[in-house]
Amino acid sequence: MLRLPHFQVSAPTTVEEVVAALKEEPGARLVAGGTDLLPNLKHRLEAPEQLISLGRLTSLRGIVRDDAAGVLRIGSQVRLAEIAADPQVAELFPSLATSAGLVASPSIRNTATIGGNVNLDVRCRYVNQSEFWRGGIGGGCLKSEGDVCHVVPKGRNCVAAMSSDNVPVLISLGASLVLVGPEGAREVAMADYYRADGLRHTKAEEGELTTEVRIPLPTTPRRVDYVKWAVRKSIDFPLVSVALRFDLDGEGVDAAITAVQVVVGVLGAKPRQVSRLEAVIGRAMNDPEVALLVSEATFKQCKPLPNVPYEPAYRRQMIRVYTRRAIQALAQG
Amino acid sequence: MPGEDRDRDWQIGKVHRKVDAMERMRGITRYTDDLKLPGMLHAKILRSPHPHAKILSIDTSAAEAMPGVFGVVTGQDFRIPYGIIPWTPDENALAVDKVCHVGDGVACVAAVDEDTAIAAIAAIKVEYEELRAFYDPEEALANRDRELTINPYARKGNLSKHVVLEFGDVEGSLEGADLVVAGDYFFEGTTHGAIEPHCAVAQVEPNGILTVWSATQVSHYLHRELSKVLEIPPHQIRVIQPPLGGAFGGKSEPFDLEFCVAKLALVCGRPVKLLYTREEVFYSHRGRHPMKMKYRTGFTKEGKITGVSAKTILDGGAYSSFGLVTTYYSGQLLCAPYDFGSYRFESTRAYTNKPACGPKRGHGSVQPRFAIEIQLDKAAVALGIDPIELRRRNDIGSDSVTVNEFRVGSNGFQECLTRVETASGWQERRPSLPYGQGLGVAGSTYISGTNYPIYPNEMPQAAVQICLDRSGRARVFSGANDIGQGSNTMLAVIVSEELGLPLDDIRVLSADTDLCPVDLGAYSSRITLMVGNACLNAAQKLRRKVCEAVAKRWEIPRKRVVLAKRMALDLENPERNVSSAEAFAWAEADNGLLGEVGSYNTPKDRHGDYRGGTIGASPAYSFTAHLAEVDVDPETGLVDVKTIWVAHDCGKALSKRIVEGQIEGSTYMGFGEALMEQHIVDPEHRGVHTGPNLLDYRMPTFLDTPTIDAMIVEAADANGPYGAKEAGEGPLHSSIPAIANAIYDAVGIRLDTLPFSPPKVLAAIEERQRRVEAGELPPHKAERTARRSA
Amino acid sequence: MTQAALLLTMKVNGDPVEVAAPAHWTLLEVLRYKLDLIGSKQGCDKGDCGACTVQIDGVPALACLTLAIQAEGRSVTTVEGLSLGQGPGRVHPLLDAFDRYDAAQCGFCTPGILMAAESLVRERRAPVTRDEAAAALAGNLCRCTGYTKILDAVVDASEQILANVAKGGAGEPSTSEGEVSDAR
Repeated sequence: MLRLPHFQVSAPTTVEEVVAALKEEPGARLVAGGTDLLPNLKHRLEAPEQLISLGRLTSLRGIVRDDAAGVLRIGSQVRLAEIAADPQVAELFPSLATSAGLVASPSIRNTATIGGNVNLDVRCRYVNQSEFWRGGIGGGCLKSEGDVCHVVPKGRNCVAAMSSDNVPVLISLGASLVLVGPEGAREVAMADYYRADGLRHTKAEEGELTTEVRIPLPTTPRRVDYVKWAVRKSIDFPLVSVALRFDLDGEGVDAAITAVQVVVGVLGAKPRQVSRLEAVIGRAMNDPEVALLVSEATFKQCKPLPNVPYEPAYRRQMIRVYTRRAIQALAQG
Repeated sequence: MPGEDRDRDWQIGKVHRKVDAMERMRGITRYTDDLKLPGMLHAKILRSPHPHAKILSIDTSAAEAMPGVFGVVTGQDFRIPYGIIPWTPDENALAVDKVCHVGDGVACVAAVDEDTAIAAIAAIKVEYEELRAFYDPEEALANRDRELTINPYARKGNLSKHVVLEFGDVEGSLEGADLVVAGDYFFEGTTHGAIEPHCAVAQVEPNGILTVWSATQVSHYLHRELSKVLEIPPHQIRVIQPPLGGAFGGKSEPFDLEFCVAKLALVCGRPVKLLYTREEVFYSHRGRHPMKMKYRTGFTKEGKITGVSAKTILDGGAYSSFGLVTTYYSGQLLCAPYDFGSYRFESTRAYTNKPACGPKRGHGSVQPRFAIEIQLDKAAVALGIDPIELRRRNDIGSDSVTVNEFRVGSNGFQECLTRVETASGWQERRPSLPYGQGLGVAGSTYISGTNYPIYPNEMPQAAVQICLDRSGRARVFSGANDIGQGSNTMLAVIVSEELGLPLDDIRVLSADTDLCPVDLGAYSSRITLMVGNACLNAAQKLRRKVCEAVAKRWEIPRKRVVLAKRMALDLENPERNVSSAEAFAWAEADNGLLGEVGSYNTPKDRHGDYRGGTIGASPAYSFTAHLAEVDVDPETGLVDVKTIWVAHDCGKALSKRIVEGQIEGSTYMGFGEALMEQHIVDPEHRGVHTGPNLLDYRMPTFLDTPTIDAMIVEAADANGPYGAKEAGEGPLHSSIPAIANAIYDAVGIRLDTLPFSPPKVLAAIEERQRRVEAGELPPHKAERTARRSA
Repeated sequence: MTQAALLLTMKVNGDPVEVAAPAHWTLLEVLRYKLDLIGSKQGCDKGDCGACTVQIDGVPALACLTLAIQAEGRSVTTVEGLSLGQGPGRVHPLLDAFDRYDAAQCGFCTPGILMAAESLVRERRAPVTRDEAAAALAGNLCRCTGYTKILDAVVDASEQILANVAKGGAGEPSTSEGEVSDAR
């Protein structure tokens, strides 16, 4: 059996205890659902001496609509299956219900948490293999034991792929994270949270814990979706991953677009927010040009890498196709 | 046929609860990894990170000095080579002087627990001298540098096996043909993917008896090879196959772990267990050979095949495995269900620096079947003949002789075609399906065991021993390996039918070399026909004894006594009956303890009279037709297989639902190979496997798998028990070309290489569109599309 | 190698259990190696196959990706738990349906599939459809059956359970006496 490295583990019951434990053991790793961390530990991508299990943080398990603050607050220990099935999420943020319901497999969604998922480590075909396998390619890479990149020859920057289904959606919805550390709590917009560096792909500081995801409640009518392509309809990480949001000035399909967000995952370490979409502002949602303009801009700005399986050129083309089709579907109903 | 004289079917062909399923479902069955012995050590194998290298030195001293380490072995402890085929012993339990692929075993440690064993193998220092590695079989064959001969025992460089056979005048028949279809095909390598990883446990008793429990499908061959490599006489070795968690050919020869646990148990004086990680399962492999195939097929304008010419390169990986047989099978098993007229094949197997290929479900013949069935489809299109009709016209029929001189008995192929044609609505629906949707058909055949065993001998191929006792129960002892396919239940059904006992009253004990008669194992779809016949033979002898004893007491002729429903009855006066227990007691009083043995040997008059003419000849052949319906997205290249209808001629279904399960599982496995599975190494990255785990090696999930409509066709065969033939491998073959042909029907592209991944499908669609725009091709289904949009 | 062990308290198949295990062990190792509950299988090492699926507080979870400590204080049900207290002729409707349909070939993936399926059919008010069953079991690989007979069995079992509830049995196990019917 592929075994876990040796470590000690604690299971605090309050956020304060977690923060204290992190301070005491600077190298300690947080484990929420464990569905991302445990395979990585079994692959010896890291070998922390101390794990801190978040499983007893009952205070972080709620989904609460906070009308005063104008946000939906999702505790970081809420399971993905709970998000996928939550009526408030379905009503307010259907694209998030979709993305949470498409992660991996049912049993994994029962265990994996949203806090873990937004902090999912980036992935690469040359990284997420056993220690023995990485020895076979010549001793790992920038992200593991080695000092070369197998994706970008002579590359010095790790381009492992952000592979969370939920992160592009949450960015498109303008979500932010609440991080609690020794200095107290701070709120970071998810659009600013990720870094284009696979070795340190988030801006979380040492000793910080993600306690909450906050999503601003919709203030205008909107149409949203998440599209994923993977080889299999279950278990797989996404190979094409696009989140879409159109804010509208009315409920009908002919309402005018007031704002647009397109966020694409599985490129490099940082999800890409597609820019220069101003041309669709003011157009009707069901204007056929919208789907073409947005999908074309998305295609131009997204350049997949051979960091995950299947040809980058194909995946790039599919980003365009899936984006266009999703928008056409949004313009229908 | 055997079993024909029975009085009536009271079990044959019915639906049964399997004799061993409930305890598996309750979670109490002990598979190999569930065994725990007092003082048991855990072993791990150190594997080569290099695809090709000489071993200059191995220093195990640091590992041996570690607390908790009980023993270390290396290739020096296993200098005698072995191989499943007696003519090609070309591998050692651990590498002796060189390693031949990433993952080749180098040393093995037994320690108090797995963590300690893992730490210990990391402490072993191996000095390698790297050699150039070959990943392409043709490059490997072209090599003339002896230093770079991959396999240490190879005698002809990187050539593993070369076979050329010709039947009739092929070139003449192609020249005289109205149509010659030429095609180049590539079948990608795939692996078995049984959910249970390989595992073995060994223990040595004070009297020297070595017991090896192993997740194997060939306990007898493992027994032989353990004896050879460890130089221990067979009577001192006992091999037990615990209930098995799937195999599909992936556990059909000895592997490093079995030799290692046995040797370490001897060295350490403690039981030793070794469980592969999933990654190690991929390195052990023995899966489907990648094959490059060049086919030319001649047809008359009526669609009759005039001749077939095939040239095949097999990518064998580092060792022979079953490769000698695979090389023959790649040509020999193709000669039904169609009459070829003339046939020539040349098959060349090369060694490469990859995990060794071997037998995967449909051994050696799934790849050429892919090629020939697409060839037939191309001919049907070119000749304007319905693809089902074209296949009908070439059907070789029953009681026939193939071009390569194999005698075919029963043949239900025509009915298979008709069943899938009717069930799918082929005639009505196919002409009207729009662009993007399609139906495709393919046919195939497979063997029910081979007439000659792996090692030449005159003894029976199968034997079964049955005892009855006065409580009214039966015990069946069989060497056959139940690998999940239900062979223990098959034996119980036969005993039940013959002796009138419900399945619950029958205990089957199998695959223990000490307690059971020898059987050769679960491979080449041999068990139902061969072991079934042996079992039937023994059961009938017992039935006669029991009926005789009852007849004597009732003073009626023996023929009037029937055994059914836990009773003996008078056929002419069913009111007169006695319980099975009573009947057995009478028979035991007359005969002494009721035990009989039965054995089966194959007919020896059904093969070709030429060198190699016995390889692939079988007592009986199964036949299959698949018909697939697909939806192809021309913008993404995604192929959605909606439904696969499959009709399989298994002779006689002894247990209906078990047969259906084999048909469904086979069809599913072919579907996975068609769309997504790839067992490949990366030449750009030192020959590492591209994803030796179940996340990267994608096997279809519940949500990916099409609806499978399995239909049983029964063309009873004179050589099978009650007419039964195989069902476990045949129904895989034509699943793949049926999908390929359906894709052609949907969007007009030929996919001659596997798998049909979306980028490949899309590229072919775009290429076709380019040619349509250039005026080189008409749009596919143009009329229909126009009609639809009008 | 020795390491400070955790002392865990949990309920396993309804019984309170105290068990010591190294901190780096998974729940699967605790079940298989410490409690000898070998029904939960190890197939892929890391959450890709579903053979180790158990229920934690009634919800399917992968034991190979669950740290032992994460089960502390919780109620774990393994496949063995489906057969407790079931005497002759009485068997859980799911097991009975799997048996009638030959939904288990080698049986290695079956415990995990049963645990995922049990959570689906428990307390249902309408029969499970094939699509619902496929979605619920989509994390469990089976290499033998092509899934067909498993779906047959799950749908059938859900109908049986509803019928039992209608008879006032509150999902009580059905009896499995008598002839096996050909339900196709």
